[in-house]
Amino acid sequence: MTQPLPDSPAAASPALVFEARGLKKQYDDGCVQALRGVNFRITQGEFVVIIGPSGCGKTTLLQMLGALDVPSAGILHYRDKSIADLPDPSGYRAREIGIIFQAFHLLPTFTAVENVQMPMFETDRPAAMRTERAVELLTSVGLEHRLDHFPSKLSGGEKQRVAIARSLANGPSVLLADEPTGNLDSENAKHILELIIRLRREKNMTLVLVTHDLNIARLASRVIKMKDGLIVADEQTPPPAA
Amino acid sequence: MTFFTIVVRGLLRRPVRTGLTLVGISIGIAAVVALVGISRGFEASWATGMKVRGTDIVVSNMGNALAPKPFSSEVRDRIGNLPEVASACSIYADLTSVEDASMMVVSAREWGGFSWQNLKLISGRMPHDAMEPAVVLGQTAAEMLKKKIGDPLQLETKELTVTGIVDGGAMVENGSVILSLALFQNITGNEGRINVIDIRATPGMSEDEVKQLCNKIDAIAPEAKAMVAGEHLGNSQAFRFISAMSWGTSLLAVIVGVLGVMNTMLMTVFERKQEICILLAIGWKPGRVIRMILWESALLGFLGGIVGVIIGTIGVKVLETLPAIHGMLEPDFNAELMGVAVVLSVVVGVLSGLYPAWRSSRLTPSLAMQG
Ligand SMILES: Nc1ncnc2c1ncn2[C@@H]1O[C@H](COP(=O)(O)OP(=O)(O)O)[C@@H](O)[C@H]1O
Ligand SMILES: [Mg+2]
Repeated sequence: MTQPLPDSPAAASPALVFEARGLKKQYDDGCVQALRGVNFRITQGEFVVIIGPSGCGKTTLLQMLGALDVPSAGILHYRDKSIADLPDPSGYRAREIGIIFQAFHLLPTFTAVENVQMPMFETDRPAAMRTERAVELLTSVGLEHRLDHFPSKLSGGEKQRVAIARSLANGPSVLLADEPTGNLDSENAKHILELIIRLRREKNMTLVLVTHDLNIARLASRVIKMKDGLIVADEQTPPPAA
Repeated sequence: MTFFTIVVRGLLRRPVRTGLTLVGISIGIAAVVALVGISRGFEASWATGMKVRGTDIVVSNMGNALAPKPFSSEVRDRIGNLPEVASACSIYADLTSVEDASMMVVSAREWGGFSWQNLKLISGRMPHDAMEPAVVLGQTAAEMLKKKIGDPLQLETKELTVTGIVDGGAMVENGSVILSLALFQNITGNEGRINVIDIRATPGMSEDEVKQLCNKIDAIAPEAKAMVAGEHLGNSQAFRFISAMSWGTSLLAVIVGVLGVMNTMLMTVFERKQEICILLAIGWKPGRVIRMILWESALLGFLGGIVGVIIGTIGVKVLETLPAIHGMLEPDFNAELMGVAVVLSVVVGVLSGLYPAWRSSRLTPSLAMQG
């Protein structure tokens, strides 16, 4: 369901996906300055890790990118359109991006295969095709044997796999992940991370991943370091050996 | 999975609460069905009563009382002389306590009048003449008064004898104590006074002509009002009052149901705040969340309506078998009333869901990220 990409002005370089200029976000009438003027450009297919101490504004930034909240000031564009002024923010969230949360956020009264179908209600896919696609996605994350399990019957790693399958429901071109391994033991965290990276490569998605795990940062093509609502470093990293 | 599955799952997540809400709304709907059914049945059986007596027009003065106001029996002669009137029968009808029964229809009819003709003897005999101290009882009245042929029956100060038990062909008739008008007037000291005149129009008259005849009668008999039989009850203030009471009570019960559903839906929205935020975060439009909540409350209303109709119908059936009421209710539970009740219940559901739905759509998706 990815929209055709608009022709990039510079045909040689990859298309610009996100652009932030002087992006600010404050809460509680300015008592909390979560983002204090952030600038960056993210292009198609990049794997960006955002790293920084707790409370530095990582989640806030991801919320702006996902149109879950609106900036207080500054510019934030998705493919040359202001995210704050999108005519259909729900449609943007449903089709353009996939979101993965630290706490999984599955709906407890729905099975794995039903959870994955939830975003598909915003497309005109008929019921039978929704189920078929959800089964396909769950199979691709290695959960073909857990289709009809409720979240309470799944392990942490399995829950996050369901959440990943759900984020891919409508074939997004951007994946936003907020500490996706934060609630997992190191073994499960490793598998989930490998899964996300594999899916990104297969589907050529742009991935913005928030973490405070330095080991994860080494896998990314670019690391943005944040502190107190500002970007303090933005480095391309050499591709990992092997 | 369809959208409807999501709606149903929303109600099933708290089965006890959903069940209790259902009970609340269905009791309201049951009250509507029972009260309206009974009062409409009352109206309908009154009309049947007129029909079996062969009455086309009823002349009476239905004021504020349950029984019509008396007027001079001379009115009957004025009306009887009209060419369109085939026959007229003077009646004195009263709602009063008779022995142990607190409310009985006592129907004193002109001796020889046509209003005796529909009475079929089940046992015993009719009175021999207008002044014989005798009464006949409709079969339900006989049961209620626990009388058989030959038993005495106290009416005002006079002791009469039950000479016959009759089938009057309609509930109102079967619940009546029937006697000669002259005898009744004599007992009660109401000589020369009546309060109802049953009229048969000349055979073959159209509905319009019967209505015109009513106007004509009104012109020559200002003491009372002529009305097409069956319609006259609706014009009685007492009946209108009972009707309004039953609707009012129903309305109250329905309002209680509304508050119950609204409370449940508000609680469910509050409880599912995070889940709703997640749905918004993964792309659901606020409108879809609104629809989900509204469908849930509509479904609650629909199920409550069905259960309410069943409870109301069964409740009245049980009521009918009680000895004190037996034979006095002829409730009218037609498909229309049941349909209206279910539709009302769905409307109640949707209305109660509006505010919770609006609340849910105002949640911001970023809340999903926290916690
Ligand atoms: N909804 C909110 N209301 C008030 N303050 C908030 C809200 N969300 C985040 N904050 C504050 O903004 C700052 C950045 O938070 P966050 O983006 O969650 O940090 P991180 O994800 O890097 O830990 C913190 O000080 C946090 O307390
Ligand atoms: Mg965070």
